[in-house]
Amino acid sequence: MDLSVLERVKWLQQQQMVSPEFFEILGSDGREELKRVESYLGNNNDEWQSFRHYETIDGCISRTSSFQMEQVKNNEENRATALQHKRKTEGKTEKIENKKNKKIKTEDETESSMKGKSNMSNSETSSEIQKRDYIHVRARRGEATDRHSLAERARREKLSKKMKCLQDIVPGCNKVTGKAGMLDEIINYVQSLQQQVEFLSMKLSVLNPELEYHINELSTKQACFTDLPEAVSKQSMMVDASSFPLQHQESLDYSVINSIQTTTLGSQKDQTSSGWEIHSQSLYNNLRTDSDSSFFSLK
Amino acid sequence: MERQIINKKKRVFSVEPNKIPPSEVFTRKYTRLLVPALKKLNMNKNSSQANQLTVKHEVDMALALSAQEFAWSRFLLQKLSSSNNPTTTTSSSSNGIRIQKRSGKEGGDEDGEIEEKLRELQKLLPGGEEMNVEEMLGEIGNYIKCLELQTIALKSIVEDTT
Repeated sequence: MDLSVLERVKWLQQQQMVSPEFFEILGSDGREELKRVESYLGNNNDEWQSFRHYETIDGCISRTSSFQMEQVKNNEENRATALQHKRKTEGKTEKIENKKNKKIKTEDETESSMKGKSNMSNSETSSEIQKRDYIHVRARRGEATDRHSLAERARREKLSKKMKCLQDIVPGCNKVTGKAGMLDEIINYVQSLQQQVEFLSMKLSVLNPELEYHINELSTKQACFTDLPEAVSKQSMMVDASSFPLQHQESLDYSVINSIQTTTLGSQKDQTSSGWEIHSQSLYNNLRTDSDSSFFSLK
Repeated sequence: MERQIINKKKRVFSVEPNKIPPSEVFTRKYTRLLVPALKKLNMNKNSSQANQLTVKHEVDMALALSAQEFAWSRFLLQKLSSSNNPTTTTSSSSNGIRIQKRSGKEGGDEDGEIEEKLRELQKLLPGGEEMNVEEMLGEIGNYIKCLELQTIALKSIVEDTT
């Protein structure tokens, strides 16, 4: 199969249709590139019937490869415009992966070959290089290749990437699959966090007159920071750490943070002060595991 | 020199002192902001007890000020400074009920359901409605982290002083 396609490529190059860079691409991406060339070629009219047999031989390459030779050298202007058009549609279909719907592809080919005789014919041979400028979106076979759906697909992929990041942050998201479930989880988690903050601030407001902020006592606590393994590793979303200058550590901060350090998101199951536990559990869903139990400090 | 001595005692700082993990930075800032504010409240309102809303206001303010590199904190600050009695992040209970109902109804159109949920999420995030969805999803991650750290800080403040 490869040989046959290579033969064809060489023939193309002999006709000075294919730029020398094509072989570089060939080396790197191999079959996919050839398929793209095929796609360009296949949009031309059926003048070169001899190539049709490749279709039967090679199940992977479903596109016809008819090709118009004489018009190539002539229509520079057409080439420019057709390139523009072609680029934006097929330049994005960088890789064709799913090999299920061959028939649909060939149908596309024949249709477009009927349509695009005049415009598409000349330019495609040299247009295989333009892929570098564009967003590379994986287009599966059988899926629409027009600009809008490709952009839509790119957008969806970005979204799913972000959803994956969120999955790492929100505990309990791994067990749920699907966007809707995960979004539900995230929403519930944010709500429970907000409720907890509200509850704590209420408690603080009740206690506030009595609080004396025993700064000195707090400062005598244990002095070593434990790492926050999870929190630190999840800092992919937190930005700009280095911009904060080091400041003198007030003892209050230090000790508070110290207790924080020993209680956070780590793996330890700590002793629970009873009143807090009940309140917290009621606020958190049962899906909250580590972060919940680790909130209680070791004193 | 004194600083180095402090460093050695407390073993706080890493070799490269500028690279403090952001969570520590946040919690430090947060507590440093909140505690004096609470003290001030305490002192000012000696007779009447500190209003819950005021405390909440301070809490939110401390959150917003501690996380100024994120977009949502700007929105939060706006909300706080504009209104005296802010109900910024606290309307969560009503949202919760709404979500459960909605997920029961919209079984059909999956995309529509997801859109609904994204919108709900946007409402939870301060300023979320002004952002587009992609941006919002990124900011939500930060927001969740900061909320977690805030709850930790608050808990320890309350616990340590009772």
